Amino acid sequence: MTDRRETWLLLSPGLVLLVVAFLLPIARMLVLSVQGPDGTTLVHFNRFFQDAYYPLVLWRTVYLSAIITLICMVIGFPLAYIMARSTPRIRLWLVIMVILPLMTSVVVRTFGWMVLLGRSGLIASSLRDLGLAGRSFQLMQTETAITLGMVQVLLPFMVLSLLGVLVRLDPRLEEAARTMGCSFLQTLRTVVLPLAAPGLLAGSILVFTLSASSFVTPSLLGGARIEMLAGSIYKNVTQTLDWNFAAAQAVILFAGIAALLIPYLKLGARPHG
Amino acid sequence: MTATARIAATAALCAFAAPALAQEITINSFGGAYEEAHRKCVIEPFKTETGAKVNIVTAYSADAFAQLRAQKNAPQFDVIHFSGGQEIVAAAEGLLAPVTPALVPALADLYDFAKAGVARGEGPAYQITAIGLVYAADKVPGAPTRWADLLKPEFADHLVLTNITNGYGMVGLLMLNQIAGGTTDNIQPGLDSVRKLLDAGAVMVSTSPEIQAEFAQNDAWIAPYASDYAYTLKKAGLNVKFVQGAEGTPASFITANLVAGRSNVELASKFIGKELSPEAQACFSDALRYTPTNAKTVLTKEVAADVVYGADATKGLMRFDPRVIEAKRSTWTEAFAKAISR
Repeated sequence: MTDRRETWLLLSPGLVLLVVAFLLPIARMLVLSVQGPDGTTLVHFNRFFQDAYYPLVLWRTVYLSAIITLICMVIGFPLAYIMARSTPRIRLWLVIMVILPLMTSVVVRTFGWMVLLGRSGLIASSLRDLGLAGRSFQLMQTETAITLGMVQVLLPFMVLSLLGVLVRLDPRLEEAARTMGCSFLQTLRTVVLPLAAPGLLAGSILVFTLSASSFVTPSLLGGARIEMLAGSIYKNVTQTLDWNFAAAQAVILFAGIAALLIPYLKLGARPHG
Repeated sequence: MTATARIAATAALCAFAAPALAQEITINSFGGAYEEAHRKCVIEPFKTETGAKVNIVTAYSADAFAQLRAQKNAPQFDVIHFSGGQEIVAAAEGLLAPVTPALVPALADLYDFAKAGVARGEGPAYQITAIGLVYAADKVPGAPTRWADLLKPEFADHLVLTNITNGYGMVGLLMLNQIAGGTTDNIQPGLDSVRKLLDAGAVMVSTSPEIQAEFAQNDAWIAPYASDYAYTLKKAGLNVKFVQGAEGTPASFITANLVAGRSNVELASKFIGKELSPEAQACFSDALRYTPTNAKTVLTKEVAADVVYGADATKGLMRFDPRVIEAKRSTWTEAFAKAISR
């Protein structure tokens, strides 16, 4: 058997799975989004933009995902740095701590947040006792609740992406910078951060796309009044059976994410040729 | 035994097993306390009596109806339950098969209004629940008596409204619409009313267990909801009462419907017969305070006091036209989502 044939044979199961389970359904969805009673039409896309509601949902999805990504970066980078510079044993325990939220069911975890953030939950009652909040203050069904819940579940992705890169960084580079007179923070900024950029890039793309497309946690924590695009798509598919409009929304979500990620990727790829 | 003989014997055994595999039905139930009562009063006794397997899909009526429509060419349900009148539209679309007195003798014992559309394919109602005001008796300054009480400013921060994706929430919106002067042709007064209530501090939920959480943990005092849930909350230890609003009490008919195009009609009909039996109905009324539809059902005095019981009492209940609701559900869902969004 030639090398080439062997390669194709080894690739074929994966390729078949990719085509059948991914490419074909996506193609079907694209067809659905432009299908109308009299042939190809853009009426579903027009419906999306006819008033402010759906663009607001799209905007909310994008900016919440961006905030979640930023928070994960800010928390994840120091955490990953500490994990990379600690002994393997401590690193293992820190990794377990970071991954632990992912090991419980998403619904159980979210209900934990619902109890914590409700009107008589720990946070609201503490704020009330300190006199900082009104009588019916609660964090449930707010965008803050969505952000908290999503950061908890997406932080491991950021941390582990960064960890992989930071662990391979030669510590002598930092030591060299320190001997040349850099303070610790300056070393982080000028030496570690640029070298960790691929990890930051990979982690932030993962976190952004996962938060833009998730709907269980945002629906449960945000409630009926705060809608994210993935939740709206789900509602159109299962409740109003409006598959064409749901497909159009899915295409718009994909376009929105791609529009943000492609420049971001290009920006990040430049220093590393 | 040779290998061939062994294979032949296994095949023969499988042939005997095949009829047993056909003894299963797929139904939908509504989750939470309802599904628990459903299991206890109907499903478990049915399984013991017939030895059949019952697959339960948890889905509210609107979702189940959407699934039924999507599965038109290859239905997956045998018996489907609706609480929002979807059976009228489903029967008109040919998705349901008529329940026949031959296979379900209990039909003869039902009140007339509970089996009005059976010949057209609409399944019989096996429970009725009234939609009114559920309120925390120990917290409200004065017991509410009318739907208009929901708009009182002292209840503003403690009101729980339900999304119209839930059948009872839909009826609640239509009642708020009615007292605001709207009709089923124009629900804008109802939407404005809901918007005002939400801005004043009301909370919006989508499922029944969330209402329980609101009353138990979030200082909720009042919610437009059904009498069955008021009883569930009482059983959970909350001091909650139910009152019928003076402007009218919409009833929700919970129906059991036979899905068209399925092969195990006999077994499915037996299941529906079980749901219509006096024992199952008394069990449900006891568990969840539903109004029974079988005239032969006997309720204890304690249960009868909490329930709209008997042919005369049930005559006073009203119903929004399910056909209109079904036709406009899509537009209303979108309009509602836009009205409640922050």
